[in-house]
Amino acid sequence: MYSVTQYRAKRFGLKLVMQLFCAGVAATCLFPLFWMAASSLKTQETVFSDFSLLPSNPQWLNYVNAWTKGGFGVYFLNSIFYSTVVVVGIVLISSLAAYAFARLRFPGRQFFFILFLATMMIPIPGAFIALYVLLNKLGLINTHWGYILPQINGGLALSIFLLKTFFEKLPKDLEDSARIDGCTKWGIYWHLAMPLAKPAIAVVVIFNVLAVWNEYLLAMLVLTDKELMPLQRGLMVFQGAHITQYPLLMAGMTISVIPIVVVYLLMQRYIIEGITAGAIKG
Amino acid sequence: MTHRKKPWILGVYLAALLAGCAQKQNSSQLTIWHWMSDREDTLQELAGRYETATGIPVRFELFAPSEAYSQKVKAAAQTNTLPDVFGVLGEKRDLASFILSGHVANIAEEINDQEGAWRKLLFEKPLLMNEFDAGNGYGVPVGTYGVPLDVMNIQFLYNKDLFRQAGLDPNKPPVTWRDFLAANAKLKEKGIQGLVSGWGEIWLIECLASNFAWNIMGQDKILATLKGKVLYTDSDWVRVLKLFQEMRDQGALAEGVVTMINKRAEQIFANGQAAFAMNGSWCVNVYHGMNPSLDYGVMLPPRVSNTYPQVIWGGAGSNFMVNAKSVRKEQAAAFLKWLTAKEQQVYLATQTRNLPSNREALVDLPPILAEFVNDMDRTVHPSLMPLAEFPLVTEAMTKGIQSILIGEKTPEELAAQVQAVKDRELEKQMAQR
Repeated sequence: MYSVTQYRAKRFGLKLVMQLFCAGVAATCLFPLFWMAASSLKTQETVFSDFSLLPSNPQWLNYVNAWTKGGFGVYFLNSIFYSTVVVVGIVLISSLAAYAFARLRFPGRQFFFILFLATMMIPIPGAFIALYVLLNKLGLINTHWGYILPQINGGLALSIFLLKTFFEKLPKDLEDSARIDGCTKWGIYWHLAMPLAKPAIAVVVIFNVLAVWNEYLLAMLVLTDKELMPLQRGLMVFQGAHITQYPLLMAGMTISVIPIVVVYLLMQRYIIEGITAGAIKG
Repeated sequence: MTHRKKPWILGVYLAALLAGCAQKQNSSQLTIWHWMSDREDTLQELAGRYETATGIPVRFELFAPSEAYSQKVKAAAQTNTLPDVFGVLGEKRDLASFILSGHVANIAEEINDQEGAWRKLLFEKPLLMNEFDAGNGYGVPVGTYGVPLDVMNIQFLYNKDLFRQAGLDPNKPPVTWRDFLAANAKLKEKGIQGLVSGWGEIWLIECLASNFAWNIMGQDKILATLKGKVLYTDSDWVRVLKLFQEMRDQGALAEGVVTMINKRAEQIFANGQAAFAMNGSWCVNVYHGMNPSLDYGVMLPPRVSNTYPQVIWGGAGSNFMVNAKSVRKEQAAAFLKWLTAKEQQVYLATQTRNLPSNREALVDLPPILAEFVNDMDRTVHPSLMPLAEFPLVTEAMTKGIQSILIGEKTPEELAAQVQAVKDRELEKQMAQR
């Protein structure tokens, strides 16, 4: 039989173990980021000999060099542009499709939904050559659209899946009330379903912003003009077949991570809400 | 109303922005695709110099890493959108397939013009890697289909400071196998690791095994093995495999070498954590970047036998090909001739610390690079052999050597296993005929 003290001690012990476990997991997640930031302040000679997280002689110029040598000025704007257009495209198309799959009754509804899901099994790199041939025939090689459209296409399946699950959970009574008040199907989608789906849309936005921001292989395939390339191309300048300029690479990566962290922090509340609201439940 | 119009205004703006993004290319401009991101600045500088000298603009377009570049080149080949000059990565059979598909121009006429003036400037073997002679097994018409931009060979490196620490003479690296093992024993006594190399990338294992095989049995017996007339269970082949076992048993290898990638191996050697490395001449630039004060020397892989000469793997570092379908192919070939001329090659070698493909450009090389150059005539490469081994046999051999290194297999077991794979491949080949 436990006394209150014993019970409290046990609870405290369990809590401590849990906290230590969580701290351990957090440390393993954060350590690479710290290492990246620390390495960005070292020299090529000290990056693998000085293992301190706070370098004694920080090389702040690495950031300037990474920005100028990597041509980040142009690439940064390009990445912001691509991320915005692709994510807006995905949210618009996937929300319309998801709402239709969730609420409208039409022949082949289930079949087409599964067909969409099946595209999740085909990674873009697996279809590179076929995609290149298609884009070439459409005259889209080395154009913004040639890079944007495949990414919108690639992001649709998961986004439709997430949003459909969310829309299905919306109470039908709300829609019935809106219909009685004279709302059209479009009106219900735009004025009712979309505002309620903010948490799920936040999840879709963050997933896709991450994917587009970090995309590189498709850019290499489709684009040839440096002026059209995204940010990741700038990072590649520091990573040669034989030589990798680690401090500049790490400085460039630190710069490239900042916008993503900002987007995540801005949408954090919605993301957690979206996940807990069942946005990613099967 | 104004509020409702805003999305349309934005839409029109975006459409206008996106519509005006297609590349307008100068009709005389030469476009060159490459993957060498660490030479980007140097190549851009040379492009500027060429335009100044000839008025022809040259545009180097970088696509890295090499895997992405390869995908891009294959995709562009399928749509006939290759640039004027490009490189084909991979083995000779990959180059052959590009040639047979009509994508690579034969520049034999240019290279042999004026009694072979251009040819004579270049190292012979790296150029041979781009050539196909009569009766080649790939069915490619006789010709020259590319030129090397730079050359390389793969040798052993040793750390002179660590040699001193172990009481070894830093100016007398081990020459024979026995010397090598003895040096390793002394290094081990001082707690210094022996040989490090990126043997997780199995082509480096293939390279060393091939070096040993050439030294032990010579070219004729290797060719006989490729033809299936000598078995891998032959005592000479078992001896090759036993050398790896000996290295393991004597503790002559750095920790984790079996699964190590070469970039990691380079870090270890550059930071003085291993006494020996096996690496290509590109390492001079790599080590300089990682540790400019590293004091090291170049040595041939240890000699195992006196019967046959020692060889090392070597050849072209990177090659450029002219697009056979380009309307500017003559200008493209002229540019490659200019790029491989002495002045440009000296500049390339100085800036990138790689071996130039032009023999006349071997001036003012760093001493360590000069040591690599001295052994260029010893180079061999599987691409230059009249016959190629079945890829599955090579894979069984190299992966099997990894198994020996971790004590999973004996040399005899591996030899039997490799021979079994070879027998299967020969049977398949016979059945296909």
